[in-house]
Amino acid sequence: MQRPYTAILIIPTGIGATIGGYAGDAIPLARVMSQVCDRLITHPNVLNGASLYWNISNSYYVEGYGLDKFASGGWGLRPVRSNRIGVILDKAIEPDLMLRHLQTVDGARATLGLNIVDSIVTDTSLGVEIGISTSGISWGTISNPDSLLRAAAKLVTTEKVEAIAVVGRFPDTMEGEEKYRQGKGVDPIAGAEAVISHLLVRTFKIPCAHAPALATSPPELDLSPLAAAEEIGYTYMPSVLVGLSRAPQFITSEKNKSLPGDIWVEEIDAVISPAGACGSSLLMSLSQRQCQIVTVTGNETLITVPAASLGIKSTQVSSYLEAIGVLAAHKAGVDPQALLRE
Amino acid sequence: MTTHFITAEIDLQETPAELQQTIEAEIKKQGQPLRWAVTSVDTTREKVTVEAVVTR
Repeated sequence: MQRPYTAILIIPTGIGATIGGYAGDAIPLARVMSQVCDRLITHPNVLNGASLYWNISNSYYVEGYGLDKFASGGWGLRPVRSNRIGVILDKAIEPDLMLRHLQTVDGARATLGLNIVDSIVTDTSLGVEIGISTSGISWGTISNPDSLLRAAAKLVTTEKVEAIAVVGRFPDTMEGEEKYRQGKGVDPIAGAEAVISHLLVRTFKIPCAHAPALATSPPELDLSPLAAAEEIGYTYMPSVLVGLSRAPQFITSEKNKSLPGDIWVEEIDAVISPAGACGSSLLMSLSQRQCQIVTVTGNETLITVPAASLGIKSTQVSSYLEAIGVLAAHKAGVDPQALLRE
Repeated sequence: MTTHFITAEIDLQETPAELQQTIEAEIKKQGQPLRWAVTSVDTTREKVTVEAVVTR
């Protein structure tokens, strides 16, 4: 019997990817790619569309820090039926906006049946700060990370939560925001979001994801469809809660390696990445494995770090449609070149 | 604990494995890494620029 064909779809956040750089606009891609894989591992930036999401039954929602650890061989993934979710809300969120978030939690429990056990407010404001680096990518920091960690520790030790959703209060005016709403440029909040979730995953080793709290913007006549999913609700939480509800747990110890269904890096058949975004820890780790690396030039990014410039061997294609063909051929054991004629 | 954005210029290495090790060692001099990526490559000077967020 063939083992399950397993691929990782990676679209780094905050680098202005033309596909996947906006509000869950890589979900159509993930839906199609999941049809040629037995298991598709991907991450919140691909699957979170604020109020919109799609439950792909053979996909695995893995936060970026955990994905890096998985690719390095240090951590494994253990699929679950559901997770007990805890929610952390930034103290800086105003009362009306806080109520909207609490009602989103109520709705996710009542309408989707998610197991959200508790919500907790941080003891100080997180102090989210965002910026754009000289390379043009989005980054950010938080002023009070200890407050975030204290809230998470309480949820983990007292409520025994298995996954954490975090909502940070982000600035209402941000450099690049207007361009983003027009479907251009970089998502200004993405870098800070990644820092928040990475810190929690690094510390607690359980699935985490972030949703920003933002004041409602006035309707925008020229709003891009790529950003529209973030304008149709009061919070960005629904997709995060759905993703976390069945995100695989991390296996961080060798002694836990034995359960059937666990996924380890040795089982990864392929990884698909934008062609200009190959300078990640994940791709460098996977380049040392028996794993087909497929890079897509048609998904342009603000940075230009092609695989070859770092000595990474890859199959370069022009579009995701072509990449999906390469995966199908790889799964079938067919050399893609056999399907081409001069 | 505090979070910081840093950049570093690092020599290109023979293999991706060596480059990854060199980057991680360099970043650890400035804190515990949360997120990093190579954001540009200068093949003439054989240097890469790395952007990272670390905790201290």
